[in-house]
Parts: sequence; structure tokens; C-alpha cells
Amino acid sequence: MAKMTLEELRNLRESKKKEMSQRDGNDKSAQIIIGMGTCGIAAGAKEAFDAFLDELNTREIMDTKITQTGCMGLCFSEPTVEVDVPGMPRVIYGNVDEKVARRIVKEHLIGKALVSDHIFDKPAADIIK
Amino acid sequence: MHATLCDLITDLVQNSIEAGASEINLKVEETQTNLNVVIADNGKGMSAELLKKAKDPFYSDGEKHKHRKVGLGLPFLFQTAEMTQGEASIESTENIGTMVRFRFDPEHIDLPIFGNFTSAAVTLMSYGFEGNLSIERSVNGETYTVSKNELTEALGDLNDLESLTLMKQFIETNEEEINKRPDGSNRSVQSV
Ligand SMILES: Nc1ncnc2c1ncn2[C@@H]1O[C@H](COP(=O)(O)OP(=O)(O)OP(=O)(O)O)[C@@H](O)[C@H]1O
Ligand code: FES
Ligand SMILES: [Mg+2]
Repeated sequence: MAKMTLEELRNLRESKKKEMSQRDGNDKSAQIIIGMGTCGIAAGAKEAFDAFLDELNTREIMDTKITQTGCMGLCFSEPTVEVDVPGMPRVIYGNVDEKVARRIVKEHLIGKALVSDHIFDKPAADIIK
Repeated sequence: MHATLCDLITDLVQNSIEAGASEINLKVEETQTNLNVVIADNGKGMSAELLKKAKDPFYSDGEKHKHRKVGLGLPFLFQTAEMTQGEASIESTENIGTMVRFRFDPEHIDLPIFGNFTSAAVTLMSYGFEGNLSIERSVNGETYTVSKNELTEALGDLNDLESLTLMKQFIETNEEEINKRPDGSNRSVQSV
């Protein structure tokens, strides 16, 4: 692909926005927070991030926000990912590799069912301080 | 712990973010003979005493990892510099900021692989922090710059899936451009 300019970036964003607003406007978006601390990265958090991006795009679940954060203090279960889907309990998943990331999109975001074998804890409040 | 040099760069910029910086400048320059990196921030900096400790391979301020007192960012940097006869330095002034620089020999056999700069840059740009991050990147004299402020201006919320996807394409295509060889082929861009 040829090198993109900021101008092209702006235009692409504008046209995508129009496309979006023509679809049904879902009120609240889902949030995915990926722990990118030293151990998270060493354990494959970047691969998990790429898998989320790819799977969400493929399935066109555009109303999603992905944020990265530093150490979640949960080294032993890295990569850790927090998922907040409106109307569902906030969940922390542990050992999220590429496969699990794709499962979270399919089962949790689309199917509205928790990926129980990877739940680290719920709700999150008392763990993340 | 670190698989690649891009992971190390990510960690060092995270240090700046953790120091509360509102302006971070990252310069990553590759030539045939040198890999030059500078990370400068206007964060809280370090006192002389803390700076001495931070250079100690067995120090982390203990605020983040309650069960681990060893930082992995700076020690890895100094260790790599020593192992590969490279140079690494850190200067810091309390309440003013910090500058970390290093220069490695890209050909050195013990140097970790460079890694994927696009994914490091996307990670840092979409990191949940308020400040600005400016990146100056060059490979054999070919250059591009990108800043979080200008990306936000063009795309809006950088954490939206749509923005993230476009931002990744933007950085990827700029990386491809500067990694092109004169004959039109691409330098192998390593994945991971
Ligand atoms: N840019 C900076 N500004 C202010 N203080 C810094 C900066 N970089 C490092 N420090 C200090 O040096 C310490 C050691 O940093 P280092 O990256 O080695 O470990 P860490 O950030 O504590 O842990 P880790 O990187 O493994 O998550 C930090 O805890 C912090 O106190
Ligand atoms: S990066 Fe693993 S506990 Fe902090
Ligand atoms: Mg660090």
C-alpha cells in the first residue's frame, strides 16, 4: 500500500463515520483494556491486541474501544484483558493469547456469554487497585 | 524478558508516561552501522539519589509490582549495552524531565532482534494517557514523523476501533515506505 498522509487519514475517518451513523446507532460501546506491562508484552499482549483488532474488524463490531494500560499486577496470568460490555458484568480474563482473544470477541462480545475457562476475576474493583 | 528492541523502547516510553509526562519525544534512527534511540520527557524526573538507584539493575520503585522489586526496563537497557559494546545513558532532573539515549551496533551478534515498530507505536499511541507523544523515525536517511496530537486531530478518539485500524495502516504504510530498498524491494520487516 502507498504511504498514507494525514489528509487521507482524515478523509477516510470522515467517510467511515458517515457509514457508521447510517447503521443502527448502538448507544454504548464495549471496552477492552489490555495490560501492556513488561510481563504482559513478554507473554504476548501485542499478539492479543492484533488478534482483537483483526477479529473485531472482520466481524464489523465497530462500536468497540480498545485501551492499553501498563502493569495490571497480575504477572502470573498475563496477558490480562479486562472486558466491559454494557449490560454484562465487567470481567478480567487471564492468559489471553491470540486464540482466546478471538474467542472473547465471538463468545463474549457477540454471543453475550462469558468465556468461563479464562475468567480471572469478576467484578474487577477489588483486584485492580 | 524482552523479546525485541521495540519491546524495550515501549517499556522506556511507558516509564515516561508513568512519570506523568505531558510531552514525550521518541527518536528511532537506524543506519547501516548504528541504531540510535532517544526518549525525552518532561515528567517528574528523578533526584540524583533516585537516578543512581534507577541505574542499579535491582531497583524498581516498588509502587507498581508489589511482588517484584526489580525493574525490567532500565536494567535490560544497560545490560544489552554492555553485552554488545553499545552505549546507553540516562540524564534526569527532578521536576524537569528525563532523557534516555542509546546507541547499538545493529550487526552485533548478541543484539536482540529489532522487532516490529508499527505495533510498538500503535501500542504507545493508544495507551490511555493525556499527554502528547511525538515520534521521529528514520531508516537509512528516509524519515517520517507522527504525533499523537495530529493523529487525534485527524481521527478523533484514538481508542475507537475505527481510529485504531486507520492509525495502524498509517504507521504501517509509512514504515514500509522508509524500509524500501533503492531497487524497490522491502527490507525484511520482522513480525513480532
Ligand atoms: N522517564 C522516567 N522518569 C522518571 N522516573 C523514571 C523514568 N524512567 C525510570 N524511572 C524510575 O526508575 C525506576 C526503574 O525503571 P524501570 O523501567 O527499570 O522499572 P519499572 O518501570 O519500575 O518496572 P518495569 O519497567 O519492569 O515495569 C522506575 O521505577 C522509576 O522510579
Ligand atoms: S508487569 Fe507484570 S506485574 Fe507488573
Ligand atoms: Mg519501566
